[in-house]
Amino acid sequence: MSTTALDAPARTAPSPVNKTKVAHKSAIAVFVAPFGALFALFYLLPIGYAVWQSTRVVEREGTFGPPTEVFGGLAQYRNVLDNEAFWESIGRVLLFGIVQVPVMLGLALVFALLLDSPLVRGRRFFRLAFFAPYAVPGVIAAIMWGFLYSPNLSPFRPLTAEINFLSADLVLWAIANVVTWVYVGYNMLIIYSSLLAIPTEVYEAARLDGASQFRIAWSIKIPLVMPAIILTAIFSIIGTLQLLAEPQVFQSFTSSVTSDFTPNLLVYSTASVPNPSLAAAFSVVLALATFIMSFTFLKVTQRKAFQ
Amino acid sequence: MRTTTRAVSVALLAPLLLAACSDAGGGEEEAAAGGGAAESGACEPAGEPVTLTYTSWIPGIEDVVAIWNEANPDIQVEVQTGPNGNGGTYANFFNQLEAGNPPDLGQIEFDALPNFRVQDGLENLAVCEDVAAAGDQFIDWTWSQVGLGEEGAAYAIPQDTGPMAMFYRADLFEQAGIEIPTTWEEYAAAAEQVREAGGYITNFSTGDINQFAGFVWQADGSWFNNNGEAWEVSLTSDASMQVADYWQDLIDRDLVSSLPGWTTEWDNAYNTGQAWTWISAVWGANSIASGAPDTAGQWRVAPAPQWEGVDGGGNWGGSTTAVFKGTENLYEASQFALWLNTSEEALNALIEAANLYPATKEGIELPALSEGVEFYGGQEIYEVFREAGAKVSPDFVWGPTMTQVYNDVSDGFSAAVSGQGTLGEALEAGQESTIAALEAQSIPVAE
Repeated sequence: MSTTALDAPARTAPSPVNKTKVAHKSAIAVFVAPFGALFALFYLLPIGYAVWQSTRVVEREGTFGPPTEVFGGLAQYRNVLDNEAFWESIGRVLLFGIVQVPVMLGLALVFALLLDSPLVRGRRFFRLAFFAPYAVPGVIAAIMWGFLYSPNLSPFRPLTAEINFLSADLVLWAIANVVTWVYVGYNMLIIYSSLLAIPTEVYEAARLDGASQFRIAWSIKIPLVMPAIILTAIFSIIGTLQLLAEPQVFQSFTSSVTSDFTPNLLVYSTASVPNPSLAAAFSVVLALATFIMSFTFLKVTQRKAFQ
Repeated sequence: MRTTTRAVSVALLAPLLLAACSDAGGGEEEAAAGGGAAESGACEPAGEPVTLTYTSWIPGIEDVVAIWNEANPDIQVEVQTGPNGNGGTYANFFNQLEAGNPPDLGQIEFDALPNFRVQDGLENLAVCEDVAAAGDQFIDWTWSQVGLGEEGAAYAIPQDTGPMAMFYRADLFEQAGIEIPTTWEEYAAAAEQVREAGGYITNFSTGDINQFAGFVWQADGSWFNNNGEAWEVSLTSDASMQVADYWQDLIDRDLVSSLPGWTTEWDNAYNTGQAWTWISAVWGANSIASGAPDTAGQWRVAPAPQWEGVDGGGNWGGSTTAVFKGTENLYEASQFALWLNTSEEALNALIEAANLYPATKEGIELPALSEGVEFYGGQEIYEVFREAGAKVSPDFVWGPTMTQVYNDVSDGFSAAVSGQGTLGEALEAGQESTIAALEAQSIPVAE
């Protein structure tokens, strides 16, 4: 692109410079249009609709009076603030995230470093083996683990009959295990590809300075892949707050997963009451919470990671 | 490195906002519901060929509708099938109503009718003469429930019912020398003996709140009342609390299991003789046959245990055929709904296809429902359900937010069986949350 811009004035009279600019503009428009249209249709419009819906309240006369939706300002948001179940579910997924995300990313990092170290044989096999669970659709994975946990039907019955992983106390961690199982390989791959991008001269220099493999991993590899780790951490934080599929599947294995177990499950059950306005308000608050948490995390970590 | 940060932030921004909002934003248009529809109150033939849409989850419904389509070239019915009501079809109906394009007809269970009525989603079919005249054909309580407390109204045509009785393992009871309980007191005593014999008398399913409601119904209780001005919520009425305390006692003494209902684990408990009885509706006969095939021939049906001083009948489930607001062919839709649920031809086909237990007085006397059933050792089980059905009180009233009631009470029951709180406390919490849910939708609640 830059060569065209430089060549153009040399070849022709000055006037076409303007033309080139216009041509660029339309080229940009053409390339951006498909994305822009889909983005507007499937991102901005639904978000806008949800925000609008969240400002509505229902009015009616009598026991079976037809409902009329009217503008209610922030009334639904007051309901959200007052809703204990919502904040409990947020607390539940935060607890989940605080434990599960570091465990998962720690494993992903260790696997990635192992794959990248010259000591490991059968690298391609392990890369595929670690990644394979991610190829299993999340719902299928949850069904499979549901049966593995089942007290009476599990192939590991001696264990599951003793410890009920689906009980109210443990089911959150049983779900954490499923999520970890599915996503470790995915996060590993992101970190691993970032490791591959590190120039080999850096390692050479380190080795000449007498650094061991462990030292190289600790002092060179981990700092250099920090941006990738942060990226996976943010994806994971978002994923945690959005938990829906796994707990929903687990509802058919245990009654411990209630209809307000995670924020998204609560949104779902509120929407089917049907109370779309309150569900929309939940969603907006959840989106804002996710947004704030992700960016706080980014702000806190970027100073250390990117300088 | 700074550019990396920014790229990361921008890439993140978009999907997370969408992801959180998409659940509520999903395709609901607040467009003019009912716009362009026939005025309510008119039940006139269209005078030209029409095509109706009908959504149902009865297995084999297509074959039944095919009989109608064959005989009525001018009123063709297209069937759409889906998951059962609370499993997704109701959510679809609500979304379709909000978007202004519901099907003409839909299957709705009795307990969900007030919910659709309060969202202004149902046509009053009693404006059609044939419907108004058909009231006598239906079992009394079903006709009273489709009227929703309004004199001379019918917001749906009753289709089937679920009178409750006790399925029990005759072989196990005989081996252990335990008498078949006829009262709830005897049932609790039998539960102790069954536990000593290594089984559980039944499984208390925390997800089946409509079964629990059936127990309350049988105890002559009710959860709601619409006094015309406001809704009275009575989840914590005496009858309701009596039933809750009874089951809580059985749970406390480990005399009933509490596996989640309708799961493989649950089927397994019935199939392997861990659960000895199930107090369930007439349609439960099929559930046992398909869920516990190894026990064929061992099950029998007896009347459900009774409370002292109450000779009541419980009901669990049962559907109606409703016509949604906005249909342009009220007359044709009501004709089809009447045929589907009252004609001998259709009822026989429904019994054959799905073992439906009709809601008409004549329907339950059909020969197909007088035969012995092989899975139950040739017992004429429908005889028991006929007797139970005759005792079902017409005074039980469903509330306008049953989906929410079921969710909230079920959450409380789940907590109770894992040792947090009791069933009674769950009903108290449910009472409060239900009142809150009604008020959130500006539905008047009596203090």
